[in-house]
Amino acid sequence: MKPRFALIALLAIIVLLLGACAQPTPQVIEKVVTQVVTQEKVVEKVVEKPVEKVVEKTVVVQAATPVPAKKIVSWFQYDQNNVDPKADERVGNEYLRKTIPIFNKEFEGKYVWENQFTPWDRLAAKLVAAVQAKAEVPDLIEAGGTEVNNFYKNGAVQDLTEWAKAQKWYAEMDPSALKICTTPDGKIVCIPMANRPSQVFVWKDLYPNGFPKTTDDWLKEGERLKQAGKYAMTFFGSTAFNGDGANRAVFQAIVSFGGGYDDGNGKLKLNTPENVAAVAWLREMVQRGYVTEISFAGGFQEEEAFKDASAGAIPTGLFGYRYINPLVAPSGKKYEKKNEQDMLDAIAAGDVILQPFPAAPGKKHGCGTGVAALFIPTGAKNPEGAKEFINWTLSPAHNPAYVKGPGGGLPVLKSIAALPDFQTPFYQQAYQVASASECKVAWPTVVNVTGAKMAVMNAVYKLIKTDPKADIATELQKAEDEFNKTVK
Amino acid sequence: MTQLATAPPSGGRHTKRTKPHRRFDPLPFLLLLPTILVLLAIQVYPMFYTLVLSVQEREPSGWQFVGLKNFEILLDSRQLGESAGHTLIFLIGYATLTLTLGFIIALLLNRKSSLSGVYITLLFIPWILADIIAGVVFRLLVLPDYGLFSGVLQNPALFPPRGLSILTADAPRPWIGEFPFPPSPAMVYLILAATWRALPFITLLLLAALQTISNELIESSRIDGANRWQIARHIIIPLILPTMVVALFSLTLGGINGVGMVFSLTGGGPGTSTHVLSYLLYSIGWVSLDFGRAAALALILAAINLTLIAGTLRITRVQQRSI
Amino acid sequence: MQVATESQAPADLRALLTTRGQREGLLANLALLVITLFALLPIATTVLISFKREEDVTRKPPVVFPCDTPTSKFDLTACRWSIEGYERVVLPMPSPGSLLGFEIKGRMLNTYLPNTILYAISTALIVMVLAGMSGYAFSRYRFPGRDAMMIAILAITGVPLLTNLLALYQMGASIRHLAEGLYNDRVYIIIVYTGFFLPLSVWIAKGFFDAIPRELEEAALIDGCGPLGTLTRIVMPLVVPGLTAIFLLSFVSVWNEFIAGYLLITKNDLKPAMFGMYDFLGQNIINAQAVAAACIVIALPMIVVFLFARQSFFRAMVEGAIKG
Repeated sequence: MKPRFALIALLAIIVLLLGACAQPTPQVIEKVVTQVVTQEKVVEKVVEKPVEKVVEKTVVVQAATPVPAKKIVSWFQYDQNNVDPKADERVGNEYLRKTIPIFNKEFEGKYVWENQFTPWDRLAAKLVAAVQAKAEVPDLIEAGGTEVNNFYKNGAVQDLTEWAKAQKWYAEMDPSALKICTTPDGKIVCIPMANRPSQVFVWKDLYPNGFPKTTDDWLKEGERLKQAGKYAMTFFGSTAFNGDGANRAVFQAIVSFGGGYDDGNGKLKLNTPENVAAVAWLREMVQRGYVTEISFAGGFQEEEAFKDASAGAIPTGLFGYRYINPLVAPSGKKYEKKNEQDMLDAIAAGDVILQPFPAAPGKKHGCGTGVAALFIPTGAKNPEGAKEFINWTLSPAHNPAYVKGPGGGLPVLKSIAALPDFQTPFYQQAYQVASASECKVAWPTVVNVTGAKMAVMNAVYKLIKTDPKADIATELQKAEDEFNKTVK
Repeated sequence: MTQLATAPPSGGRHTKRTKPHRRFDPLPFLLLLPTILVLLAIQVYPMFYTLVLSVQEREPSGWQFVGLKNFEILLDSRQLGESAGHTLIFLIGYATLTLTLGFIIALLLNRKSSLSGVYITLLFIPWILADIIAGVVFRLLVLPDYGLFSGVLQNPALFPPRGLSILTADAPRPWIGEFPFPPSPAMVYLILAATWRALPFITLLLLAALQTISNELIESSRIDGANRWQIARHIIIPLILPTMVVALFSLTLGGINGVGMVFSLTGGGPGTSTHVLSYLLYSIGWVSLDFGRAAALALILAAINLTLIAGTLRITRVQQRSI
Repeated sequence: MQVATESQAPADLRALLTTRGQREGLLANLALLVITLFALLPIATTVLISFKREEDVTRKPPVVFPCDTPTSKFDLTACRWSIEGYERVVLPMPSPGSLLGFEIKGRMLNTYLPNTILYAISTALIVMVLAGMSGYAFSRYRFPGRDAMMIAILAITGVPLLTNLLALYQMGASIRHLAEGLYNDRVYIIIVYTGFFLPLSVWIAKGFFDAIPRELEEAALIDGCGPLGTLTRIVMPLVVPGLTAIFLLSFVSVWNEFIAGYLLITKNDLKPAMFGMYDFLGQNIINAQAVAAACIVIALPMIVVFLFARQSFFRAMVEGAIKG
């Protein structure tokens, strides 16, 4: 019988240890989650399973107030708790920090907005994975318009068509932005919050003859700048961040040659004469030394070459303005507020101008569409709250702050766009450029957007950078075939 | 291994002779129970789940059985071949470098000067750093334009014609077909960084083995007229060979499965030049969210690993020692 | 399994040292010195970077020491050291009400590191106890299936972590779904970590128990100590160093683990420090001083733990590697 004692002692120790480790944790969480939330749960649970849950939650009941407020959980790429004044996402972080209390005050007793920060390059994958595994999903997620079909086809987001059409703001919503949120079969699955088509930021003084209108002229200007010890452009040329470069400057070039990635049936169509011409042009730019080497470094280091004016242009999304700072103009003039204001100042001063991407002969200026949009995921616990949130954010009182903060682009509502806030040189130029370009959706039907991005960017990188002698059509065809095999 | 499983359960000198009245004692099973439960949940169940996943595909409606399609797509893809090539080059470079340097350092330390303890402690610090931190540390050193080493490396006078920026430099043309040899500068740098982190552990292992060799043996052979090379060749190396093998396998296993350093040092780039198998698994599974294909790749990796483990067992004869 | 840090050279070897031997000793020392410096170089440079200002970190071409002036290349009095990087990690914000007069707003310090400490300590404790129990069973008992079980546990160490994560992610979600209210993210991740680091620890523990002569126990039993008494008074004290080693090894493993936390943990408030590093990696990496400072803040506790308990580490690692 004696070994029993040893066993019991050991088991007792384990139970104690497990208990000691497990117990504090719920407390920690309850502290993090606001009080109101727990109260709401209590009420629900009590109704559903009166016997079981009462014991567990008695402690909380004391704190209960009569009105329960429902949580609205959002996933943004911004973190209200990150107070680092130099954080990359400081603009969005600051917006959340200011706005969450305002929202919670206005909806006191009804809703509590709780944001869970998610890194930008994980947002889409995290949502799809969570929906597939039936894990926890938020009530709202802010993502780019490039994910529309991915989310829709994976059943990750709710159809908002009926609801959207019944809202006041629907009539004055920019139709082009709304189109990005519409699936191929006509369903509205997200609400655009700001429009941010890709454009080119240009140091005016480095292009004294004017920024080139055609890709051929850009090559000529490239030679001129090279002789002067400068670069024609810097761009997101690396394969970093899961090939996100394919959504950025590379896509602008592709569209400017009349090309695209998507065959309209959920597969890639890369080997087209337009795409081959676009890649050949990019290859020329890179191989002749008109593009900064740092374009290929990843980690957004390509922006450095524009900040110090060693490169004359950076094609990127409109929202790029808030990251590219501080700035030193070719004249030596410094813009050193170290926030989004630097770029706006440089544009107001005329040092930086916004331009459309040069077009191939006979083609239109190309541009990638981009909206910042709000989606309501499948399985959201509080879709009603999420909808009220969207209405609140689109209201005249609160929309300008959103557009200037996380939106980082042009307002999508006419009445907002007419406000004096949006008549500055930055917005005027951005409107002009957008209307002068033909903007395309990068992935209207491809579902596995991330896989496609990686396939495209790996192939393009190889063609323009590492293997300048490889046959472009062959390589594009290989990448296309390999990806399409994985399409169901 | 079969002879192991069927080994007589009552062998050894420690059968429960003290308690002849009990034939079956549940105590060891009870002691093992929590461990077994945890391992079943966290290690065994996921293995079977992976097996099931590998023959399925995700449809919006749910999981669909697709047979061996995932394996076919995988084995057919250039990605797999390329990543396998990178993994192979990485492993060869990493294991050779670590074992050679580890052996040399262990020999130096085995002289047992009064400073050995200090050296071991200091040399060991890299091991205590997380692979992801080590990756960041090495990345900061060669950050294009700003890294401390970049000042030297990117100097065109030293590395003509344009200087060497490790994180953006192109791989040389492959010598044979598409096999990625010679490796890109980023791959070489990744190997150096991984070696830096693994070296302490391997050194320690080899040192422990060296210390089991008796001084008398070496002294007597020296008196017999053996020179130093002969002593190393005929006495030291044969004696520590089993440890060398253990070290080699431990390095290989770590090298195949580690993803943290690739993640934080190169992110698989530039281009795809540091895409290794484990990184491919990560990107298929967690970036493209193709869990079925990722599961297929995971099984291939697990098979390689288990083969290696079985090899280690055989060579070190751990069976005989443990029974 | 002796390790050289107990650095008493046998006297007979000392006596054999000739002048030639001494010269060689000097050379070996020199070589070791150079190697050690090389090994510490990346760490030293990281420390160096962490104390620079942004202006000096982003200079082209880079300067090693931020000590140059327009007139001279190196002037010790002109060095521009700064704790800017650490400030960005710690983010002290003035707060009159609090104890120190400021509040730590840095997520790394007020959220991620405490999480890591919680995960690492809990996991290490559980692993230590479970491995101790299993190691004891494997070392002291012969029972059917013992060897098969030991080989199985060893084989498990060969399954790549990444493989299991696909299933573990799904499993976490399913448990949450089935038992809403009972499920706890922290408990789940601790159990997962336990499962990851347990197999090797079982083998290490068995090795430690094997090393304790059974005669001691038998003698104690004969002398009238009960099994419990034997365990607590004879075996435990002898095995404490071994269990400590297992604790420390698991602790460091969890602390340094990245990919499981990264893929399984979804809420920002539950992130461990290694995942927290990603806040810096997913963004513009130019602010090297802040990245370097974050690295040091995360790694320093481990280096300190190691320096104080290095013998334990060495013991566990050699045991684990040779047997496992």
